[in-house]
Amino acid sequence: MPFSYSILLLQHQRRKLLKKGAEADIFLTDWYGKRAIAKVRTVKAYRHKSLDLDIRRRRTIREAQMLSGVKPIGIMCPHVYFVDPISCEIIMEFLAAKNAKEIINSEISSQIGTYAGLLHSRNIIHGDLTTSNFLLEDKLYLLDFGLSFHSDRLEDKAVDIRLIKETFSSVHYPQFETLFSGFLQGYSTIQGKKMVKKLLTKVSSIERRARYALH
Amino acid sequence: MFCLGIESTAHTFACSVVQYSFYQNRLIGKILSDARDIYVPPTGSGIHPRDASRHHCKAVETVFKHALCSAKVSMRDIDVIAYSAGPGLGPCLRVGAVVARTLSAFHSKPLVPTNHGIGHVELGIMISRAKDPLVLLVSGGHTAILAFSGKRWRIFGETLDITLGQLFDQFGRSLGLPSPCGHEIEQLGRKAAGNYRLLPYVVKGNDVSFSGLLTSAIRSVHNKSKELSLGEISFSLQETSFAMVTEAVERALSLTLKNEFLIVGGVAANNRLAEMLKEACKRQKCKFYRCPAELAGDNGAQIAWAGILEYVGKGRHVQVEKAFINQSWRINDVEVIRN
Repeated sequence: MPFSYSILLLQHQRRKLLKKGAEADIFLTDWYGKRAIAKVRTVKAYRHKSLDLDIRRRRTIREAQMLSGVKPIGIMCPHVYFVDPISCEIIMEFLAAKNAKEIINSEISSQIGTYAGLLHSRNIIHGDLTTSNFLLEDKLYLLDFGLSFHSDRLEDKAVDIRLIKETFSSVHYPQFETLFSGFLQGYSTIQGKKMVKKLLTKVSSIERRARYALH
Repeated sequence: MFCLGIESTAHTFACSVVQYSFYQNRLIGKILSDARDIYVPPTGSGIHPRDASRHHCKAVETVFKHALCSAKVSMRDIDVIAYSAGPGLGPCLRVGAVVARTLSAFHSKPLVPTNHGIGHVELGIMISRAKDPLVLLVSGGHTAILAFSGKRWRIFGETLDITLGQLFDQFGRSLGLPSPCGHEIEQLGRKAAGNYRLLPYVVKGNDVSFSGLLTSAIRSVHNKSKELSLGEISFSLQETSFAMVTEAVERALSLTLKNEFLIVGGVAANNRLAEMLKEACKRQKCKFYRCPAELAGDNGAQIAWAGILEYVGKGRHVQVEKAFINQSWRINDVEVIRN
């Protein structure tokens, strides 16, 4: 039996389902005596098999790469313990943290902005920049890199910003103004006010492409 | 009490009478009639706004009479007139607005402009009796994931460019199919025998983008060297685009933690999409509702019902000279009172 399978077999016996996320099932497990999280991208029966496998495998590998890759920039995220691209799962550090979606305020959104600025300064696009993908322990942690990619296009960076803006204006609509200005303030500490201005112009041009937006 | 709804945003001219009353402090509605006439563009081309509006002008009399007749009411019984004020094609919207203004002025009835998208959503809720669902509105004019919070239908995800309906219509038209093409493409796809080929799959957070997929699909049709049959491309196009929408919905479900889901709009009639969404809902332990096929497409009842909510719920109506249309009227710009 290959190494990965014997380990995972043991793994599977001690798992507790924490959350059925949109993309993956999140289990609490242990990794050599340490509490750990197993993120398993399970088969989605509604997708065609070959499309499904392609998506799950690509995103698992991408996520594992990015989780390690963004640490040198100064972004906190869980340590990766183990990656299995065949069963599409990542075993990573467990964080006893609160979800930023529940406790969001302008200070946290400013930190989110700083993280986005840091990522973009290295031409990394997160691809799913929503408040629910940030955890707050003593520091802010960023998760869910499955949709991330490298790009230096202004357009791709603006799409990231548009998404967090959409999250603020839907999930957190009563605090939209403070959260979004907090985010931009944090972002500009890394990227500068000029870049923020350029990005906002791009964001509004993307918004105008959407249906029935005023031209 | 009765409301006459007049719909004319795109290819459909429709009139409908909806009866409304209060039952245990809740506003309830009953559709008494649903008359429509649909403009069919020449094969291989899309809706020409001017031609469609001419079609609507000719259709007004019969559709209007039929709506009153089959509801067994006369204009005297009608309490309020609602018309679709947007979003949609300007010339088409104007036909409905002119009819509505005329009837309102002549019979001295209150006049209510309504948002077409809100009509789709609210009618779906009235029929399905869902309480607080996440709603997927998919049609030729919309592809949006909506949830109600703070007096508005807020957008949790949407297409960044063309809609699902446009994707199928534009692909179908490039093959010379008569639009709307969704059904024909579904038939073509059956011939593929499950042969799937990867096409661009673009999900950006809770949002989707179809323009690259469309280009790629059209290119594959003209690329003779790859020997892909039309059936295979149609099948792959459907599978890819539906999977994208389903994933966006699943993401929005997990973000909003809603336990009800409702699909409305013309594309709600597609069985494969409904099947995929049902599967996603099962995973998220969420109840699945679907607007029945006969009321999924554009109709007058949705306008009447949205008008009733506006008139009874908010007590809002407009003077004839202020009854405008708005071609670009986003759904999240409308304040809604719900019971």
